[in-house]
Amino acid sequence: MMLKLMDSIKEGFCKDIIKTYTVNKNETYIEVSNEAVKRLCMFIYKNIECSLINLFANDEREVNDGFSVYYSFAAKKEGELITVKTTISDTSVIIPSVTLEIPAANLYEREIRDMMGIVFEGHPDMREFVFHENWPWDLHPLQKDFSASRKPPFENRRQDFVRIEGSGVFEIPVGPVHAGIIEPGHFRFSVAGEPVINLEAKLFYVHKGIEKLCEEKHFEKVFFMSERISGDESFSNSLAYCQAIERIAGIYDVPERAAYARTIFCELERLYNHIGDIAGICLDVAYIFANGQFAMMRRWCQMLNEELTGSRFLRSVNFPGGVRREFIKDKEKIVLPAMDRLEKEFSETVDIIKSNAMFIDRVENTGVVSHTLAVELNSVGPAARAAGVHDDARVNFPYAAYDKIKFEVPNHNNGDVNCRMNTKIEEVAQSISIIRQAVELMPSSGGIIEPVESLEPYKHAFGITEAPRGENCHWVMSGENNKIFRYKVRTPSFCNWPVLCHAVKGNIIPDFPLINKSFNLSYSGNDL
Amino acid sequence: MFQGIVKIVVQLIITAALAPLVSGIIKKLKARVQHRKGASVFQGYFDLLKLFKKDVVVSHNASWIFTATPYIYFVSILAASLFVPAIPQLFSFGFIGDAVLVVYLIAIGRFFMALSGMDTGSTFTGMGSSREMMISALIEPSMMLVLFTVGLNPLVGSLSFQAIYKGFAAPGWGFVSPSYLLLLISMLIIVIAETARIPVDDPSTHLELTMVHEAMLLEYSGRHLALMEISASIKQLLLITVICNVFIPFGSNAGVIQALGLYVLKVLVISGVIAVIEINSVKLRLFSVPNHAALAFILAVLGFMSSFVFGR
Repeated sequence: MMLKLMDSIKEGFCKDIIKTYTVNKNETYIEVSNEAVKRLCMFIYKNIECSLINLFANDEREVNDGFSVYYSFAAKKEGELITVKTTISDTSVIIPSVTLEIPAANLYEREIRDMMGIVFEGHPDMREFVFHENWPWDLHPLQKDFSASRKPPFENRRQDFVRIEGSGVFEIPVGPVHAGIIEPGHFRFSVAGEPVINLEAKLFYVHKGIEKLCEEKHFEKVFFMSERISGDESFSNSLAYCQAIERIAGIYDVPERAAYARTIFCELERLYNHIGDIAGICLDVAYIFANGQFAMMRRWCQMLNEELTGSRFLRSVNFPGGVRREFIKDKEKIVLPAMDRLEKEFSETVDIIKSNAMFIDRVENTGVVSHTLAVELNSVGPAARAAGVHDDARVNFPYAAYDKIKFEVPNHNNGDVNCRMNTKIEEVAQSISIIRQAVELMPSSGGIIEPVESLEPYKHAFGITEAPRGENCHWVMSGENNKIFRYKVRTPSFCNWPVLCHAVKGNIIPDFPLINKSFNLSYSGNDL
Repeated sequence: MFQGIVKIVVQLIITAALAPLVSGIIKKLKARVQHRKGASVFQGYFDLLKLFKKDVVVSHNASWIFTATPYIYFVSILAASLFVPAIPQLFSFGFIGDAVLVVYLIAIGRFFMALSGMDTGSTFTGMGSSREMMISALIEPSMMLVLFTVGLNPLVGSLSFQAIYKGFAAPGWGFVSPSYLLLLISMLIIVIAETARIPVDDPSTHLELTMVHEAMLLEYSGRHLALMEISASIKQLLLITVICNVFIPFGSNAGVIQALGLYVLKVLVISGVIAVIEINSVKLRLFSVPNHAALAFILAVLGFMSSFVFGR
């Protein structure tokens, strides 16, 4: 199918294509002129079953005289990545926006406007997105001539939310400081009585400048940054980074023991996250018994993490090329009984909550995400799988040892809180089974790391993993002297925040915390 | 006259001493179910002491209603509690003051609390006020009907709590009848809704968007908050006392010490029952609360009808 597509692209766009090349087995890049970029994106989006998984800009003025914009499409069923690239000499050159045709592009284009200064013409909503009212409107931190240590002057602009007008419509501002111990984010509800008409989330209160800080740093140092993108997804994020670095270095298969170890840790991370999410759902409907149970099981998982690696959040386990130490060796006697105990307690508690009619009444038909919405906004992870989008990066882009392990990807169709919860419940069972298989299949001897010595400059690669919250898509471009030239991070939370805002519409205000918890998105992972 | 004052003082002391304990016991039981140790059952007293020592912060936009409400609420609930004493010996007002007065003393407090919620213009407190008013409009008729039906019982024949206590206090099981059982269940539902407990409201939630009772208090601090909190726990004790003395009247005509002991025991048992209900249920969807309230009302109506059919 890819060949057919490439042939028809070459035929239809022969005048506009500058060059095409394929790297790292499945990454196809098509360089195209500015005028044709929108047409080509539309052509790919319409002709094959694919989704826009990333859209980013890169300041390549040192390398090829201009800014490049990359549109990455993933044909998930085939496991292929097609990236359309266009280069503009200056930020004053205008690129047409694709948002109206490809809704998933909306936030990426706004992000690029803020961070890189490239304006997309015809975008329906070019308000500031990453920037807050105190940041200068025309200071773009990801441009190479902006120094990360520079302190910009304070500005005081007015920032507007989408205004819903009508009699009896009120705005409820919530946050950025919340009553619980959670990350900051401002939510602006427009309500008529209890039902929500519109919700706009204003995020980026914890913007740390990770992408900027990673530039011009040695790739081994950037690894530690990647672990800190989002606290409870340390392993998935660092694994996505490591995979990108390994692909740049030409390592497509890490030693087998390392691959199995990575699989086990990925699933351990998924376990404690999913169980924590279910505990959160129970807490938000004041089901304290179930909350206590699941919170206890989450701690069991984290205690197991600590026993195996010394870190409850699985930090400093990965390393480009493999894993740091023999974490799993002779630990089967700890892992397997822990899984048995967890499986028993988990399934018993799940039986109890599923037979509680009051609980099911709360979660059923609350916060419905339609299949169309999930597809158009490129929703990922359990939220998408609950709405009938049967995608999982572990299957579509197999990494670590997932191609050698049997597991099922749950699929639900209703898209409500109940489906998201059931997806997570079923994934917990699958994770336990994956961990058991991986422990069994893991070869008893062999290396655990194939160190990456050096990186060729100006090569790039994607690193895709399935984090607990969904598909993680990192893109790394190496620079000179083993440094990183550009590190683009796109976490699942970035994709799912707009989905959450849509899911809330039509529900009542007191159901928002429950819907929010069923997504349980990361603020830090979104704000970077 | 002097005797009356002593009775009032004793009743106030009992109420103030016992009220925070009830909340503490419920919290402790809930904590044990969550595999937590939980705070001491006396933590409520320490919290109140701490709050009384703290400064009060009042919004610039608040009117006198905001500052007056804690006192009005406290006094109205405390006054109501005098008409529903712990033991019959503590009636101090004779036959003055019946069930209607008690229900409306509680309503005065609630009215001012809802006003104060809207007074500061904060979004959360306003939402709390509107929700509280919705719930109370649904629950109040059931409460009136339950108390009226009890008053209609031939053993009682009056709406005065003193007559109700006296009518049911006869030894034996004379008070048990079909209507009695229906009313007891209805009253339990009413108590849970009135005291802002799961499944109607969640007293321990941190989610400002789902709160009802707690949302109205969000703007209060210091001694104002302490007064609001202690009033809420006194109201809870008051409603539990109604159940204790009207529906479980054993031993209320015994000697003072024995009756008091039994009363405390009954309060503890009912706190346990409320905790068990909280542990096993989930907070209702806000728009399902009317169904819950309708259940209380239907039970009350059935109790009312059956008291006619069976004559008691």
